Amino acid sequence: MPLLSLEDRQELETLFAQELQDDVTITYFTQRESVLTIPGQECAYCKDTRELLEEVTAISEKLHLQVKDFVSDEQEAQRLGITRIPAFFLQGHARGAVRFFGIPAGYEFSTLIEDLVDVSKGTPALSEKTREALSKVDQDLHIQVFTTPT
Amino acid sequence: MENAHITADVVEVSEFIDLAQRYNVQGVPKTVINDRVEFTGALPEPRFVQEVLKALQPKPEQ
Repeated sequence: MPLLSLEDRQELETLFAQELQDDVTITYFTQRESVLTIPGQECAYCKDTRELLEEVTAISEKLHLQVKDFVSDEQEAQRLGITRIPAFFLQGHARGAVRFFGIPAGYEFSTLIEDLVDVSKGTPALSEKTREALSKVDQDLHIQVFTTPT
Repeated sequence: MENAHITADVVEVSEFIDLAQRYNVQGVPKTVINDRVEFTGALPEPRFVQEVLKALQPKPEQ
């Protein structure tokens, strides 16, 4: 059964058609899905996250999903700073990096959709003043926002 | 997304309890910047930017 309802998909289809500009690739790191779980290595939301991302990326031709294995694609995970799973990286027109750790459910689903649009456009919906201040940053900044699924 | 120096993460802490403990997350959303600046709750954009800029290392005297 799909995670997204028909109404959700239709709504997203309209939104993506209006808002997406450049292509966006989601690089998703997961672990091999198996019927056996190895104690200490369970990834409770890996499968749901993959299904959700598959459903979202299927809605628009501008969205692409690359599924990587956290163990066998270790080098790429390191390069993108993926230290735990489920996690994914958004790549498009925008500079800077946007990563999600954990399933984007609840409010974070809207965050994902907004981020897909912003990464596609390369210009987030920020004020001129904010953008000017941020454009002057010449040191690495790592912003982490901790959330819970609500 | 404005600047290649900036990495933004969304972290679902209930899946990563170790991070919740490490960053002492008692309410959400909690924001941590460069492990130097932190605040809980949503801030209006100008205040958020102020906090982000606080995390920058001061420039050496010239």
